[in-house]
Amino acid sequence: MTKIHRRQLMMTTVGALALATLAGSAGFAPVQADEKLVTIGIELPLTGADADSATRIKNGAIMAIEDANTAGGAGGYKIAVTVLDSGTSTAGQYDPAQAATNAKKFVADPNVIAIVGPEMSGEGKAMTPILSAANLAAVTPSSTNPDITDPKFAALYKPNGKAIYFRTVTTDAYQGPNMANYMRDTLKVKSVYILDDSGAYGVGIADHYEAQAKKIGMNVMGHDQLDPKEADYTTIITKIKGLNPDAIYYGGVAQAGVKVAKQIYDIFPTVIKCGGDGMVDGGILSGVGFPAIEGWYVTQASPHVMDDAAMSDWVARYTKNYNMTPSDYAITAYDAVSVIVDSIKRVSASGQPVNRDTVRDAIQGTKIDTLQGPVSFDENGDMLNKVISVFEIHHDAGSAEDDVQHQYKYIGVAPESPTS
Amino acid sequence: MTYNDVLLQQVINGVSLGAMYSLLALGFTMVYGIIELINFAHFNVFMVGSFFSRWVLKLTGLVGQRVALTGFPLVGTLLLALVCVMLFCGLLGVAIERTVLRPLRNVPGTAAMITTIGVSYILFNVILLTQGADAKNFPNPMPVVVWKVSGADLRLREVLLWGISLLLMGGLHFFVRRTRLGKAMQATAQDQEAARMMGIEVDTVVMTTFFLGSALAGAAGLIFGLYYNFTSYVIGYTAGLRAFTAAVLGGIGSIPGAMVGGVLIGLIESLGGQLLATRWTDVIIFSILVIVLVLRPTGLFGRMIIRKS
Repeated sequence: MTKIHRRQLMMTTVGALALATLAGSAGFAPVQADEKLVTIGIELPLTGADADSATRIKNGAIMAIEDANTAGGAGGYKIAVTVLDSGTSTAGQYDPAQAATNAKKFVADPNVIAIVGPEMSGEGKAMTPILSAANLAAVTPSSTNPDITDPKFAALYKPNGKAIYFRTVTTDAYQGPNMANYMRDTLKVKSVYILDDSGAYGVGIADHYEAQAKKIGMNVMGHDQLDPKEADYTTIITKIKGLNPDAIYYGGVAQAGVKVAKQIYDIFPTVIKCGGDGMVDGGILSGVGFPAIEGWYVTQASPHVMDDAAMSDWVARYTKNYNMTPSDYAITAYDAVSVIVDSIKRVSASGQPVNRDTVRDAIQGTKIDTLQGPVSFDENGDMLNKVISVFEIHHDAGSAEDDVQHQYKYIGVAPESPTS
Repeated sequence: MTYNDVLLQQVINGVSLGAMYSLLALGFTMVYGIIELINFAHFNVFMVGSFFSRWVLKLTGLVGQRVALTGFPLVGTLLLALVCVMLFCGLLGVAIERTVLRPLRNVPGTAAMITTIGVSYILFNVILLTQGADAKNFPNPMPVVVWKVSGADLRLREVLLWGISLLLMGGLHFFVRRTRLGKAMQATAQDQEAARMMGIEVDTVVMTTFFLGSALAGAAGLIFGLYYNFTSYVIGYTAGLRAFTAAVLGGIGSIPGAMVGGVLIGLIESLGGQLLATRWTDVIIFSILVIVLVLRPTGLFGRMIIRKS
């Protein structure tokens, strides 16, 4: 926590200093600081079971903000950052109630003109009503539950009518179903048992997966829910072993995921194990350990560009700055900041005042090229580009055990429609 | 696996779970038997025990899942960890009793019980803040040995878990029935005042009770880690609550009741999950608890408590 505060303080100071120098050297009447400084809020579960993936995302966003400030800011504005944590000790992971409190804090700070985050859909569901009332836009680099941007639920998640929840990833309406297609066509899975962790994200992705699996003729042998705080899943895994499906699909995040992976390895190691982006986390790799975690198939709701030659400088810089390797969602977090910075620039260039309303409108009209490729949004805030990448966990003895970049091997794209 | 094999496997799972619940339930039931206090700190003494034994195993050079020992090194390491964690947790229990509970012993009402909740939260947060919230990999030095019983798997670690639990429970039974201090415990449980008049050092008895109960919780913490290969700061609550339920089901205050209650809860959990659905586990467990208590308020093995005037 101290690190964040120090960084936050430092960035604010840098911004203010730069302004002071500008005003001083030019000899103009000093401009008011709040006219030339805007704040981007970052909201992530930085403590708890999600800390590892959240920290990688945070670093991606911080790096983008630092890069923007180094390049002269956005449309004449320096960017400050406020980081709030949604992890609590009672939840042991992200806590929707804390996320709602954080949303209120951001709304109360007039300098905050947009938010990067949250990481989790459970946070997003709690935050959106509050953000919508203030017309404060959030760009999430990783939360994939489709309901939040679904017009069907507009009364819940955007009561003010305008889209305020934008994503630099696609949703579980693609992540779950596309993986079902991939499993049937490429992994030759005919029967599957589905588990979820009772969370907003886990239930959503598992339900979307189940619907598609049934539609394309896979035999869904059951769908059960886990209590993420429970230690023992041997009962359910023994039950699944008795049914002998080809595969298990787990929708959920790290807290239950670690135990699911460990106990499947003990009881039913021969089954094909698949999951969503909730299973991409360094804490899962080190918590389960090799060889138990070996062979899991997982997806990410973004194109995998990390291994591209064009990205090698970026990856090296990230690794050096933060002493950890980036995840794909560190890249989408960088892109989320790029979207906001670009929007501020466009607002500023058009001569309008830079505030929450104008920035939201500008984000809606985004059309830029980011690290992951072109980003633009439909009227609900969902990204037009919908790519689901598939990875297999395969031990790379030359890298640290929790190195998400090297222990997850990219193996292809999960197709939106089945091949047959 | 045929359906019968699956059921057999669930019985094996359930007995293993139950053995762990029994060890934990004993601590609740012993303390309640002696001073009629429900000790909620017990939940997290168990959790601290699993972290402490992880630390001991790491000191012996065991990290992660890749070192498998056999023969004497395996027995020696496990014995060392068991002795260390039981001593540590026993002393932790004694420290809790001596510092915060003894001053409240004769305060009527719920003050002492609320205090144990406070102590529980302190332990919980100390581990959370110093160790972090993610699930920790617990070293597993046991080789993978699997016996086939019909179509079900019986693993070395399950046999070991049952063995250690039986040994500890047998030892406790012997201690309470056959030793001087054990008999003093029984006497104190029956009537503290009379025991004191007969020259029994009640303070020593209470301290011994806390030591034994907490040492068993520490052993359960080690067994938990070896069985599941992970530990986390939240494990005290679900396991502790089930163990408490087991103690009540068996008849709180009754040592055999805690043992049987633990195994029953374990079996209900695994067979309930098999026959219905895992998400209904808690509903099943607590419904059975409610039914038993309505029909038999003292639990299965409980004796009527004579209200002290």
